[in-house]
Amino acid sequence: MGRATARAPIEKTEALKAPLFRSLVEQLDGAGRRHILDLGAASTPMLSVLGRCRCRVEIADIASDDGIGRMNIEEATREELAAIAESLLPAHPGDDDDALDLVFCWDLPNYLKPKALSALMNAIAARARRGAIAHALVVYSERTMPERPGRFVPTEDIMLVNRGGSTSEIAAPRYSPDDLRRIMGSFAIDRAMLLANGMQEFLFRLQ
Amino acid sequence: MFERGKRDEGPGERADFASAPPQRSQAPATPKPSQNGECAVIGRSIQINGDVRGDEDLRIEGDISGTVQLKNSNLTIGTEGKVRADVYARSITVYGTTEGDLYATERVNVHINAQVRGNITAPKVGIEEGAKFKGSIEMDQDAVDQALGKANMQGAASQSNKAPDNKGAAPKAVKEASLSRPTGAG
Repeated sequence: MGRATARAPIEKTEALKAPLFRSLVEQLDGAGRRHILDLGAASTPMLSVLGRCRCRVEIADIASDDGIGRMNIEEATREELAAIAESLLPAHPGDDDDALDLVFCWDLPNYLKPKALSALMNAIAARARRGAIAHALVVYSERTMPERPGRFVPTEDIMLVNRGGSTSEIAAPRYSPDDLRRIMGSFAIDRAMLLANGMQEFLFRLQ
Repeated sequence: MFERGKRDEGPGERADFASAPPQRSQAPATPKPSQNGECAVIGRSIQINGDVRGDEDLRIEGDISGTVQLKNSNLTIGTEGKVRADVYARSITVYGTTEGDLYATERVNVHINAQVRGNITAPKVGIEEGAKFKGSIEMDQDAVDQALGKANMQGAASQSNKAPDNKGAAPKAVKEASLSRPTGAG
């Protein structure tokens, strides 16, 4: 969100243990039908993992088509942000049967200003069932982060690999749990875990 | 309007992306659309507004608006192809651009540099890294079967150029269906 500075290339092949992500995946085994929203780009490894259960997956790919820039417009009103957030999400049938059960935010929250992130999560909450889970990776210990969101894909043993190609860094917002309680609206912190790469892994539950 | 293309015109498609390494620097591949011999080709200068139907493999390099129905055949949308239509086929392979819902009884593959906006309903789906996709993917076998059944009925009943009215809406699931096998993508 700040000015970009050069950084060493990311080690793309380094797999990251993400216990909360793994627990979500394990819960998919033999589960009933699930409706899942992925805010990142589609990938075959992720679809393979989600194929453990009967599911419909919506791919929002928010970072494409300058979705982050559109959400981060400083002067935008709440109503305008709500409309932009809605436009960035895939068309939704609006049926209770199709309410979201699970949302993968990846590291996107780090790239959205608080009011933009609030607007996006409110739009998602309106499509989700009560008790729905949102998973996110939030920069915690590092002061900087890659200029663009990562492209996380699961490995066969359910670790995460970041295939993002960003070689510049920007200042990280380092949202604290208190920040997130305020920003994430109806999504309350359910569990959190510090990861080896300095990110904090969160599960949020829709109240 | 239709040309004839040989199978050996390009490097060919890969059926499975799951273990494929990223190919960001690779130039877009020209697809190899059928398993044997020739397939029909809609060339890059051709524009069609309406209903494209057939019973042979087809490669689209032109611009199509309406519907495309190849129930028992394979469709390839080439790097030059632009399809704004709901598409029904046995398998659908995308290298170009589509806007509309894709229904396949076997699989849908979206390759690097392809742009797909719409919903995908198929037992198997592969999306290569570097492809742009926005929409939903139905991976519930019961819902896939139901949607494809409906799609087939719609196709059989439709004798006009009118597109199906389910555009933009994801297929409905069977809520009380028995547990089906996972439909792993790729």
